[in-house]
Amino acid sequence: MKAIQVKQVGGPEAMEFVELPVSQPKANEAVVKLAASGVNFIDVYFREGRYKAPLPLIPGSEGAGVVTAVGADVTSLKAGERVAWAGVQGSYAEYISAPADRLVTIPPGVTDQQAAAVMLQGMTAHYLSHDTFPLKKGQTALVHAAAGGVGLLLVQMAHNVGARVIATVSSDEKAKLARAAGADEIILYTQQDFEAETKRITGGRGVDVVYDSVGKTTFEKGLNILRPRGMMVLFGGSSGAVPPFDLIALSQKGSLYVTRPSLFNYIATREELVARSSDLFSMIKAGKLKLRIEHLYPLAEAQQAHRDLEGRKTTGKLLLLP
Amino acid sequence: MKAIRVHNTGGPEVMKLEDVAVPQPKPAEAVVKVSVAGVNSIDGYFRDGRFRTLLPFIPGQEGAGVVSAVGAQVKTVHVGDRVAWSGVLGSYAESVVSPEEHLVPVPAAIRDEQAAAAMVHGLTAHYLVTDAHKLKAGETALVHAAAGGVGSLLVQMARAIGARVIGTVSSDNKAQLAREAGADEVIVFTKQDFEAEVKRLTDGKGVEVVYDGVGKATFEKNLNVMRLRGMLVLYGMSSGAVLPVDPAKLSEKGSLYMARTTLAHFTATREELLARTSAVFGMIADGKLKVRIAKTYPLADAPQAHRDLEARKIAGKLLLIP
Repeated sequence: MKAIQVKQVGGPEAMEFVELPVSQPKANEAVVKLAASGVNFIDVYFREGRYKAPLPLIPGSEGAGVVTAVGADVTSLKAGERVAWAGVQGSYAEYISAPADRLVTIPPGVTDQQAAAVMLQGMTAHYLSHDTFPLKKGQTALVHAAAGGVGLLLVQMAHNVGARVIATVSSDEKAKLARAAGADEIILYTQQDFEAETKRITGGRGVDVVYDSVGKTTFEKGLNILRPRGMMVLFGGSSGAVPPFDLIALSQKGSLYVTRPSLFNYIATREELVARSSDLFSMIKAGKLKLRIEHLYPLAEAQQAHRDLEGRKTTGKLLLLP
Repeated sequence: MKAIRVHNTGGPEVMKLEDVAVPQPKPAEAVVKVSVAGVNSIDGYFRDGRFRTLLPFIPGQEGAGVVSAVGAQVKTVHVGDRVAWSGVLGSYAESVVSPEEHLVPVPAAIRDEQAAAAMVHGLTAHYLVTDAHKLKAGETALVHAAAGGVGSLLVQMARAIGARVIGTVSSDNKAQLAREAGADEVIVFTKQDFEAEVKRLTDGKGVEVVYDGVGKATFEKNLNVMRLRGMLVLYGMSSGAVLPVDPAKLSEKGSLYMARTTLAHFTATREELLARTSAVFGMIADGKLKVRIAKTYPLADAPQAHRDLEARKIAGKLLLIP
């Protein structure tokens, strides 16, 4: 099968387009022929070695496709079924062998591309807004990178629940997208200081929660705009990892909460995985969650996909098509 | 009036009994004749300069007494009222001046010693279980220093809620006190590794919440004893301040939450302050909350009180009588 492989960590050029054998499923696995694979920032972290994985590595942890074979112990799936997943390494390929209990069925009314586009970022937006800090009507959330993959979904979900959303973005074009997704206030952080602006917008009160996937360049200021007993939800590090911080600052700045969640811990059981993905698929079918699938690349052009993602030119989802 | 004053920060000996002028109230302040002053760890942090304030100063944050003078705008208290307070610097004295909003009425059923002993520790234990992490019946809480000032009240309140309490203490004597307070399990951490013990006591799953006023000495192991998405509430630092924390650890150890709290943010409005003091005084009056007063000292012996507090052999509240 064709696949993308990283033999040594590095920049986008570390990803090679290679021919590999299709693996046989283990007893608890199913083989899926991919229709589409989702590109996520976490793929960049594995490719560049920020997150460690054994090499050689096939990047990509999200996709959708059709089951072609099942292992001896698998009774819940059969060949021909459409499934999707997040958190299964090896998705930048034509085929993947995945544990059956990590695969969810795609319902009619949701396309393969929609499923591949929504699993990782959608379940991330879902757990962030429903569980990590369950947003309630009337609360105010600050969402960084609001026009990004998770950002646009998180803004929509926050808006749907009746929360007020302050969105930070880097361009006018992204501002338009964030507004269309339901953001109430937009801060162009490249032109304005988001700390000062947020204080102004909230009349000095601050926000209830900061959802921060940017990390290094935004974390400290984020602590300054939280209302007392508010929460910093650090779920990514696109500008770099946040260095160790002093806890006393949290008490001085308002007895603040900090959490650094990861999707894996919010879909740890099959029950939770199925519940979250079902919720997402329902939202898509009901038109409550709009996916922006703007950037489609052939699998062979994975390098360009990473360049575009890291260049911060993209909005919404990037998909690789085998 | 007689008062303890600190001219230079340092050890307990820097606290000197002196004659100073009785303070005069500003329009929104009242003067209180102090019957009993409470001793708290935070007094030591101001005395040794870890927390800064202008020199010279009168230490002490907590007490109970009778209002002796009121400023022209004061509405909520009158001369002769029995009141108690926390968060008012200057309490190690025969009289203290306070903004009116910090003074709460003391019910007739509560003695001055009980009121002074219950303000900081009682309000702290209360906010910890009702708000910092809203403790639920059936959850398991790890309470460090379970025989200490806050610890012994935390244990009682947690049990009243129906949570299971695992307490840690430094000696067999204190273990007995922690059991008397209601702890279901007690770990003498000088003899056993609390990490291994908590894992054993929770079938490897860990606890939902850790309430920790110890800080440095327990921090790393605390991260290992919580269940997935558990909460660490750090409300003190009796063993020293925790070193800067790498947020990545929070995700590695199970998408944990962390808060570093201080009482002021949980009694920020008069409404909240009165709700908490009513609850705490109510529990004491009903016999549901026992506040152990370990020792009472004349005001002049404040240095000895601090020595005893810092030696950490005391289990219970220390009080100063002007």
